[in-house]
Amino acid sequence: MRRNPWLALAGGFGGLLLIMAAAEVSALLVLNSLRASDAQVEKRFLERSRMLEQIRSSIYLSGTVARDSLLAPAGGASSQLAEVNTLHGQTDAALENYQRSVEPEEAVAFSRLRSEIAAYWNVLDKTFAWTDEERQKYRYQFFYSELIPRRTAMLQIADRVGQLNELALQRGDQQMAGLFERLRLGLIGMIALTLIGGSALAIFTSIVILRLQNQVRERLEENIEAKTSLRELSVKLVRVQEEERRSLSRELHDEAGQSFSAILLETENLLDLDHMAPAKQHLESIRNLAQRGLDGTRNMALLLRPSMLDDFGLVPALNWQARETAKRTGLRVQVTAAEMPGDLPEEHKTCIYRVVQEALNNVVRHAQASAVQIRLQRSDQQIDLSVHDDGTGFDAERVRGLGLLGMEERVHHLGGSFNIDSQPGRGTQLRIKLPLVDLASDVTNELNTDTVGRRS
Amino acid sequence: MNSIRILLADDHNVLRDGLRLLLERQQGFSVVAEASDGREALRLAEEHRPDIAVMDIAMPVLNGIDATKSIVASGVPTAVIILSMHHDESYIVRALNAGARGYLLKDSVKADLIAAINSVSQGHSFFSPKVSLLLQEDYFRQMADKQKTDSFELLTGREREILQLAAEGRSNKEIANVLNLSFHTVETHRSHILQKLNLHTVPELILYAVRKGIIH
Repeated sequence: MRRNPWLALAGGFGGLLLIMAAAEVSALLVLNSLRASDAQVEKRFLERSRMLEQIRSSIYLSGTVARDSLLAPAGGASSQLAEVNTLHGQTDAALENYQRSVEPEEAVAFSRLRSEIAAYWNVLDKTFAWTDEERQKYRYQFFYSELIPRRTAMLQIADRVGQLNELALQRGDQQMAGLFERLRLGLIGMIALTLIGGSALAIFTSIVILRLQNQVRERLEENIEAKTSLRELSVKLVRVQEEERRSLSRELHDEAGQSFSAILLETENLLDLDHMAPAKQHLESIRNLAQRGLDGTRNMALLLRPSMLDDFGLVPALNWQARETAKRTGLRVQVTAAEMPGDLPEEHKTCIYRVVQEALNNVVRHAQASAVQIRLQRSDQQIDLSVHDDGTGFDAERVRGLGLLGMEERVHHLGGSFNIDSQPGRGTQLRIKLPLVDLASDVTNELNTDTVGRRS
Repeated sequence: MNSIRILLADDHNVLRDGLRLLLERQQGFSVVAEASDGREALRLAEEHRPDIAVMDIAMPVLNGIDATKSIVASGVPTAVIILSMHHDESYIVRALNAGARGYLLKDSVKADLIAAINSVSQGHSFFSPKVSLLLQEDYFRQMADKQKTDSFELLTGREREILQLAAEGRSNKEIANVLNLSFHTVETHRSHILQKLNLHTVPELILYAVRKGIIH
């Protein structure tokens, strides 16, 4: 069960970003609509106030005009009539306008206002139809008992409508406040949601990262463990192989070799006997075969593991190796080494011997060299070995054969350093350093290096 | 004339039987004891005090080289001839350093053993020709590699004579007799030789002579 952590992370972060963006957009929208409706409410209020004002001023003016016409001398009412008619028209238009936006709660007051105004106009119109006598006769009475009270009542109703209008404005403000409160709550909700989402995401991310880290650490540990056991295995293999070679070499030398020697001697003894003369040819053939067997056995034993390495130690073995290589290939091989004290640990001895052997093999096979210098130095803390040839060299950075890797592995196992310095055309120098501290404890020196002979 | 008394030391029974057979067919040789390991060889040498011990190197309990050392140190009048399969210089040098007087290869027992015993019992050294040849070849190759002038050229004719006699195992007194010189003169020559050749011990001198082909 392995979910893709990247997918989960992308989902989490994407979701969070979406929530934040949505919150912002909706807040902006609400703010916008708030501002728009605020402006609308105010505009309506002002318009309605203006219309009411128009109505009031028209009524008022019409009253004044009517009074003037009533008080005017005979005739001359026609101009006032026209003025009143204009005011009447304006009032009607304003009323019509107001009617369109009337609020339910003002409906009653407004229709009363309308009917009062209509009645007022009717009353007022009547005065214009009066004759001069009628005017003279009724004008004061009309003025004080009809016009003024009607006008006052109408103005009171208009005030009431104005109050209602103000109420509407207040209500609009309250609505705005409600809207604003909703926006605030919405924003708080959004922020809370974002915080919760963010925290959840952070927790999830932390868990994923921790888990990943754990996995990485586990892998690393597994890797290290695998590498260690692989190295241990290869060391064990090398050790087993070396042990095998040693016992094979001994066996070949001590058993097969000795048997061939005995056959050789016995055959030669037989050749001495006169009555064996008829078998002389066969005996000589046997002797030659035994000689070849002896040579072959000896060579094979030496190749597997030279007996000097166990009998006398490292330097005699290196000298032998150098002589053999020189004899076989014509290469000049020089070993410069002080005799090692007999306590060189078994694994170090073998390691150095095998490294030199491999290095010489490489030189013979690839280097086209004419001379090789092998130097071995020992101090209290370490052994230094260098193998230097004057051959063609190679690109040490790129070329790493199995042999070189094997050498390196052996050296590293003993805590040493392995170094190849080579460039095409400039020969090759191989250097190894093996530390000698704390060896007594962990390296078993299976054979006393200074004794000769086989183990029994 | 008394026969030469011989001790055989080899852990390989068949080979030992063959050696005894070979030796007992010769006039004047008698095998007085046989050992199958180094310690037994030392014990039998002290018990029988043979003239010659023919000794293998690879033997259990105590190897032939250490056994040779012990036999020489014990003061018995036994000269040791190593008989081995090893023909590497390191074995020969160590055998000589241990006090062995001859070094034979098992390849050539029949041809060399009698001559070796005769030679060593007369106080000379003896090496299988194959051994001498190997040592000489290696020596020449090394000289050629190092492009060194041979130190042998530094020796005078008289010194070369003395070198040969000394390498054959003769004492200063014997050399003085042979060459008709005073003991003191021989001693002086001898120290000059060691100095010129940068040698320090008799085994080194013998090895040098073998390598140079002065003795075989």
